[in-house]
Amino acid sequence: MIRAGVDVGGTFTDTIIFHEKTGKIDITKTPSTPDNPAEGILRGLEKADLDFSNLTLFSHGSTVGTNALITRDLPHTGLITTTGFRDVLEIGRATKEDVWDAYKDVAPPYVRRRDRLEVEERIDYDGTVVTPLNEDQARNVVRIFKRRGVKTIAISLINAYMNGAHEKRMRDIVEKGHPDAFVCCSHEILPEMFEHERTSTTVINAALAPVVMEYLTDLAKRLKAKGYGGDVLAMHSGGGVMTVEAMSFYASRIANSGPTAGAIAGAFIAQQCGFENAIGLDMGGTSTDVSLTFKGKVQTTDEWWVEYGYPIMFPSADIKTIGAGGGSVAWIDEGGALRVGPKSMGADPGPACYGKGGDQPTITDANLILNWLAPEMFLGGDMKIVPGLSKEVLQKRVADHFNMDLIDAAVAVEEIAVANISNAVGLVSTAKGFDPRDFVLVAFGGAGPLHAANVAKTMNIPQVIVPPWPGINSALGCLLVNIEHDLSQTFITPAEDDVVPDLERKFQEMEEEMEGRLEKERIAKDAMRVDRSLSMRYTGQWRHLSIPAARPLGKTLKGVVEKFHQEHRRVHAYSDLERDVQIYGLRVTGKGLVQKPVFPKIQKGDAEKALRGKRAAYFKEEGGFVPTAVYLRSMLGAGARMEGPAIVEQMDSTIAIPPGDVAQVDGMGNIIITVGR
Amino acid sequence: MEKGSLDMELDPVTFEVLRNAYVNLVDRMSEQIIRTCYSFVIYNRDFSCCLNDASGNTVMQGTQDIAVHVGTLHYTAKAVLDFFEDELYPGDVIIINDPYLGGTHFNDVRIMRPVFSDERLIAITQTNGHWADIGGPVPGSFNIKAQDFYSEGLRIPPTKIWEKGKHRKDVANMIASNVRMPEDTLGDMRAQTEATRIGEERLFELIDKYGLDTVVTAFQESQNYVERIMRRRISELPDGTWETEDYIDQDPNAEEGLVRIAVKMTIDGDEVHYDLSGSDPYTGSFLNGSFGSSFSAVIAGTKTFFPDVPLNSGMYRVIHATLPPGTVVNAPAPVACTGFCSGAYEKIMNAIFELWSQVLPERAMACSFNLEYLLVGGKDQRSGYGGKEFMWYDWMAGGWGGRVGKDGANATAPVFGAGLAVQPLEGQERGAPVLTTEHRLVTDSGGPGKFRGGCGVAKGALLTEAGKPVMSYCADRERSITWGILGGLPSIPQGVVLNPGAPQEQHLGVVFSNVPIRAGDSFTRPSAGGGGYGDPLERDPERVLEDVKDEYVSLERALRDYGVVVREVDRELAEYEIDREATEGERQAIRENRAMWLEEDPEAVAKKFAEGKIDELDLFRRYGVILDRNTNRVFQRTTRQFRAMLKRRAVPFWT
Repeated sequence: MIRAGVDVGGTFTDTIIFHEKTGKIDITKTPSTPDNPAEGILRGLEKADLDFSNLTLFSHGSTVGTNALITRDLPHTGLITTTGFRDVLEIGRATKEDVWDAYKDVAPPYVRRRDRLEVEERIDYDGTVVTPLNEDQARNVVRIFKRRGVKTIAISLINAYMNGAHEKRMRDIVEKGHPDAFVCCSHEILPEMFEHERTSTTVINAALAPVVMEYLTDLAKRLKAKGYGGDVLAMHSGGGVMTVEAMSFYASRIANSGPTAGAIAGAFIAQQCGFENAIGLDMGGTSTDVSLTFKGKVQTTDEWWVEYGYPIMFPSADIKTIGAGGGSVAWIDEGGALRVGPKSMGADPGPACYGKGGDQPTITDANLILNWLAPEMFLGGDMKIVPGLSKEVLQKRVADHFNMDLIDAAVAVEEIAVANISNAVGLVSTAKGFDPRDFVLVAFGGAGPLHAANVAKTMNIPQVIVPPWPGINSALGCLLVNIEHDLSQTFITPAEDDVVPDLERKFQEMEEEMEGRLEKERIAKDAMRVDRSLSMRYTGQWRHLSIPAARPLGKTLKGVVEKFHQEHRRVHAYSDLERDVQIYGLRVTGKGLVQKPVFPKIQKGDAEKALRGKRAAYFKEEGGFVPTAVYLRSMLGAGARMEGPAIVEQMDSTIAIPPGDVAQVDGMGNIIITVGR
Repeated sequence: MEKGSLDMELDPVTFEVLRNAYVNLVDRMSEQIIRTCYSFVIYNRDFSCCLNDASGNTVMQGTQDIAVHVGTLHYTAKAVLDFFEDELYPGDVIIINDPYLGGTHFNDVRIMRPVFSDERLIAITQTNGHWADIGGPVPGSFNIKAQDFYSEGLRIPPTKIWEKGKHRKDVANMIASNVRMPEDTLGDMRAQTEATRIGEERLFELIDKYGLDTVVTAFQESQNYVERIMRRRISELPDGTWETEDYIDQDPNAEEGLVRIAVKMTIDGDEVHYDLSGSDPYTGSFLNGSFGSSFSAVIAGTKTFFPDVPLNSGMYRVIHATLPPGTVVNAPAPVACTGFCSGAYEKIMNAIFELWSQVLPERAMACSFNLEYLLVGGKDQRSGYGGKEFMWYDWMAGGWGGRVGKDGANATAPVFGAGLAVQPLEGQERGAPVLTTEHRLVTDSGGPGKFRGGCGVAKGALLTEAGKPVMSYCADRERSITWGILGGLPSIPQGVVLNPGAPQEQHLGVVFSNVPIRAGDSFTRPSAGGGGYGDPLERDPERVLEDVKDEYVSLERALRDYGVVVREVDRELAEYEIDREATEGERQAIRENRAMWLEEDPEAVAKKFAEGKIDELDLFRRYGVILDRNTNRVFQRTTRQFRAMLKRRAVPFWT
């Protein structure tokens, strides 16, 4: 009984293999193979000496979709629209991401104008056919696409979310006239109002389907050949997995799956330690991802994109990314302010101390100067570090400028980095009505555990968890999720009791479809969990809030409306009981519960055994360099207790426990830091 | 920055942390507004938020704020402080929309909260949202016919809607009772009020942590910081004076002829001075600018060339503007100025773009399309809508000017506010008996150039079950057509066409109000593309070919605007090819004749047009002739001015 979770990143493919019987965990890191990601996945599994015949679950996340979109390495894609509307995709909402820079443009559309063809037809706002589909034109369009060698076609007609008949008929015509093409319709992919958003999602789906299918099919074949008999599961942005079959229909959902898996790992680790509410902090070399889990549920958003202007309207984990990583540069801007990031030296040339020509001080350089990082511990000791270079560049570029002591400059860099990350934490928490005091901070990435305690202190978060393997959270997340689908539909009506029968009927239709999908994914009835929710707002408002609803609804909407008022108060700090409430849409989520791995307990042991020695590290709380205990993570047993100032070192990360904080190792090997006040 | 030039009172860490905290504070106010607002105009991002210090100066403005509010929020804060003097108290919330007190137009309603610490006023948190209606004779409160503000809408001088923590229900009700959608208005008032409270809350958190003195010191340091950056950037530029002018189409109270907005820019050491003294007197339409809105245009125009510099009052210490009262850029009360956004505003901005294009040629940009608003109102007679009033209130994207090395952006929000989103027609169709017939890019709308302007957009519709519908339009640049620079050519004229393609087709123009139309009528209008950058005859023929394949440019205009002869190979496969030899010949012929075309007798040109020998684009792109689009009568004075403009912006750069 073996489970494998894999995260295919842009540079590395991370693998975590969990042997259920023995509790053994293997972790590997291999270079990604962008030409065929299946290659790198197989290598990662083989590197861990995986016994494929005993593999019971394979689940992975990947950046394949995201990369294909960014590099435009997409198959020849066509779009069919209503006459007069082929440019809806290009016009979009017409806004710019950078509102002031006249030289920064929105990315060009994924389908060129010449490959956007129109057919005469029109359906109005309530689904009535105003102009029937001109089938001669439809056939002609398909013939042209076939001649052009178009491989995949998106169909998005105006108001199709109210009536999909024309899109269905159009698809039949495509299937008949150009049977080799992949085709998808907007009313099936996303039956929601707003033509640009629906078209954008459908186009991305059509463009990615061949890309994603190509490697998934190959991966499934190779895994089978190796003896794996189960489903090949792929993570989607909403925080569940799908089978290859479902992914072929919803290819656009694979984008953002890696970071989402990371967020899920954060939620899981927190839950394992007994926390329902968690903020995930994943800090690598160039950026930091922050996510939030409330009552066990990773917060999601419907507003995201790979490139600005082309929204993908499926839920995705709500992740705030900022340019703060170990390689982020400390610099002085024209106004004389000390800035940290978003410029980054990345891994090459990297921080000055790498000695690879980096001439800018980075966060890592500052941490090295403070002696939080030990030169001999970089990459497990495989990398030669020159601390003198860190001092030289920080002195020259920061300390001299402000007539500051070198150490004060290093502290300043650390403090500004912590403040920037704290602002990002504020954007996912306080800005959305969540009180950080009710949360635990879960630190991931090479650099996260180094700064987490300081971020927690700044944000009044009482505790920090550093999991045993902070560097492979996305791969871990892939092991932890259920099969999950969601369906949504626009349905606008006053929230009054007389619409209950209509709502109930709509919900039941959606639930039936959901159960059909889960069945297709071979989920047994008793392992299915189907939930419904309503999108609601005050009549006249534009944004809506998602409110869980009972199944069945019962006789009255009073309870749901009351919940809406409460949620509005929680999120926006006020509610208005006298205002009419409107329902905007329906959503059904379905889960096929996958049994979660139970990770083994580690042996007990006190901290003394793991003590590697002491070194003088700088902590501003102490006002100088103080003797600081340094522990080896791998030697720490359950129950070990460490008082700050202390440093814990492991192969891929370093944990700083500042003075006043106390850390304790739990039964699973997580280090839990209680932040001193 | 060299050592020692820093005279900050705060240590670098505290300053950087607080400066970012102010950005975060303002952006959180914005987030609150967009999540709770009622006005669809606010929802599409016509709003701004800021933090003012105790003197009303702006400490930080939102990162996504709309250009048109930039440079005005400190004036309204100061107006409130001046009016109430020592009668502001903790728990007060003030509303103001007065364009004659530094505001923009009545629809831009500002709600602000003075923040006190131990009875001492320390800051103001302010929000500005464009309300969908603010009363007056026309739905949407854009009364094109207004000569004075009495016939525009509700003027709100500094007024308390909360006093000492108590809601002034009477005042809120008085305001709501004067507008068309009182429920939504009360909702937006609430949404904006709550946003100012969120700003206050966050400020108190910062004070708790860093202490009052530090926080207040950082208000000043933040402004000094921006001032330092701007001074440094400007001091690196050569001193000098640059001049240009741009035009509003006409003054309805005067004879035909373009209305001049003259901008003279002087860089002197580390400051910039703008002098708009050469501008014409204010006009008889509501396209006039007020002092506040014109100052905003000056700031926003400049800021476009310094996109990375944060916005606060520090910038206003470095940029100065002379806006003479009584001109079209500074109309005094009670002169109407609600339509400034389609009138003076973007003329000032684009003129400033042109001036900076000379100073910073690597960021040069030709003129961009002009903001336009179309409004159809009437009774909704669809079943289930009960004959209630509807408002189809629509604005479009358009093309931006050509740039160095880069074509202009297609279909982008106006320079008035690049964050202003266009509305989805599927949403509009639920709210009004108006069936959209097209929303597409307009072929050949990009002004020709070595780097052409971006394409404009056309949006049209059919009125279905509408009772007593009327249409109003607020736009410009039907005659003062969006222009190119450095040899580039103009885009296309804006204006509404009623019943396009039908025998009763009619040009309604760019400024009209409450024109009765009927159910069954259709209409459309284009937004202009951007003006071209550089000589179109120098455009790489391969780029023209690609444009033809995508129908951004037609075969016909590839020939006439670019002198590129493109032949169709297989239209279905979008295959075309360039006839290189013919192209050389064609380009030579245009080169030899084009200066003369601009000298041809306008009446003779009009005759050629009437006879179908030249088309509408030739009229102004080749001959610089502006006609009345219904009668084909030549506008003599306008044509003279337009030709003079081409001789300034295009001819000298042709080889």
